[in-house]
Amino acid sequence: MRIRTTREQHILHIKTALRWIVYYLLIFLSFIIMTSGTLYKPILFVPLAIGISIRNNLYGSAVTGAFCGLLTDICCGRLFGFNAVILTFFCIAASLLFELYLKDRFINFLIITAAVSYIQCWLDYKFYYQIWEYENVGRIFTRVSLKVWIYTVISSVFVYLLLKLVNRLLMPKEHLTIEEAINTNIQSENRR
Amino acid sequence: MRDFLKSTRFKILLAFLAFLIGIMIYSVTKGGYSVSGASFLNSITKPFRAASNRISMKMENTVDKLSNADQYYEENERLKKQIGELNAQLTEYDAIKAEVEELRKFVTIKEVHEDYLLSQPCKVLGYVTNDPFKSFTIDKGSADGILVNCPVVTAEGLVGITVEVSKHVSTVRTILSPDLSVAAVASSSGADQGIIEGNVLSSENGRTKLIHVPKKNKLKRGDLMITAGTSGLFPKDYPIGTILEIGLDSNGLSVCAEIQPCVDVSRLTSVIVITDFSGKKEEDKKNED
Repeated sequence: MRIRTTREQHILHIKTALRWIVYYLLIFLSFIIMTSGTLYKPILFVPLAIGISIRNNLYGSAVTGAFCGLLTDICCGRLFGFNAVILTFFCIAASLLFELYLKDRFINFLIITAAVSYIQCWLDYKFYYQIWEYENVGRIFTRVSLKVWIYTVISSVFVYLLLKLVNRLLMPKEHLTIEEAINTNIQSENRR
Repeated sequence: MRDFLKSTRFKILLAFLAFLIGIMIYSVTKGGYSVSGASFLNSITKPFRAASNRISMKMENTVDKLSNADQYYEENERLKKQIGELNAQLTEYDAIKAEVEELRKFVTIKEVHEDYLLSQPCKVLGYVTNDPFKSFTIDKGSADGILVNCPVVTAEGLVGITVEVSKHVSTVRTILSPDLSVAAVASSSGADQGIIEGNVLSSENGRTKLIHVPKKNKLKRGDLMITAGTSGLFPKDYPIGTILEIGLDSNGLSVCAEIQPCVDVSRLTSVIVITDFSGKKEEDKKNED
C-alpha cells in the first residue's frame, strides 16, 4: 500500500465526487430512455445499480439501489417503493458478495445481474398480474416479463462496459494518508 | 475639291446617301414594323447574335462573380439565415396547425355534450414502461382540476380513467386493462348491455372485450358500443368501440365480443379529461367537495 500525500487526497475526493456525478448522470440518462416510446425496454436500472454496487461501499450501494428502484417504480407505474426495496436489498447483497467472495469480472456481474433481473421481473409479474388471476395471465410472463428480462441481460453488457470505463478513469486506487499510515503503525506497535 | 464635287464618285455616294435617307423615311412610315430588308437581316443574324450574346453573358457573369464574390457570399449567407428562420417558422406553424386541429376536435366534444366540464387538453407525457395494457401519464394533475376516477377521452371515443393523480401529472388506465370495467350498450338497439373489460389476449392486438351480454341479444358485427352511464363513473352515450367478433363466454352462459376501440390507445398524443358531467356518481362529487 502506497502512502498518500495531502494533494493526492484532494484528487481522490474530486475523483470520487466526479465518479458519483457520472453514475447519477447515467441513471438519469437511463430514466429518459426508459420513459420514452411505447416499445418494451430493458430495465436499465438493474444492471446500473448492480454495476455501481459491486465497486462501491455498502452505503453507496444501498442509496443507489433505492434511488434506481424508485425511478423504476415511476417508469413502470408501480407502487412507489416496490422496486426500491427489491433493488436496495440486491445491491447490498451484490456489494457484500463482491467484497467477500467474488472477483470483479464480467461473468460474475452478468450472472448476478441476470439473477437479480429475473427475480425482479418475476416479482413484478407475481404481484401485478398473476395475483389477480387474469385470464391467460401466463402470456404476460412469457411475452412481456421474459422479453424484458432478456433485454435487460443484453443491455447489461453495454452497461458493464460503460461503468468499467467510468471506473477506470475515476476510481481511485487504494492509498493511505501519511497520518493514516502513522496511526496504523502506532496501533500495530501497541498491539505488540 | 471642285473636281471631286463634279466627279461620278461623288454623285454615286450622294445617291446612296439619298437611298438610305429614303429607307429611313420609309421605315418611319411603317409605324414600328421593320422593313423587309431589316427583317431579313434580323432573321439571318439571329442565331449568331444569340450565340454571341450567350458567350458575352457568360463572360460577364464570370467577371461579375469574380469582382462581386464578397457581395454574393454575404448575400448567400443572409439568404441561408433567412431560409433557416423560415423553416423554423414553418415548423412552428405546423405545430400550431396540428394543435389547432386537435383543439377543434375537442371543441366538438363540448358542442355535442354541453353538460361536460372538460379539463385543458392534456399532452401524453409517455407510456408506462413495459405495461401490456398501455397505461400512460398526462401533463395535467390535481392543480388543473383533475381527480382520481375521471374519464379520459378524445373526440373519437373513450380512452380510460385517471387512477393516480399528483399535482401536475396523472396516470391513466386504459380500456385495454382488465382492471377497468365500463358498462356499455349498443348504440343501435340501446338495449343490449354488457361490460367492457380489458383482456390479456385482446390487449396484445390493441383490442378490448365486451362480456356478460345476455344470450338473447341483437348484437351484430360493426355495432358501435357506447357508455351506458349506469355506474356514474362515465358519462352516458360516449363511444367506446365497435364489435369485431361475437362469441360465447368461456362459461357458456353469456355472450362476449371482441371490441375494436374507437381510439388507438397505443398512439395517443393528447387527450382530454372530463372532470364533471350530469349523472356523475354522488360519492365522487362529495369527495371533490
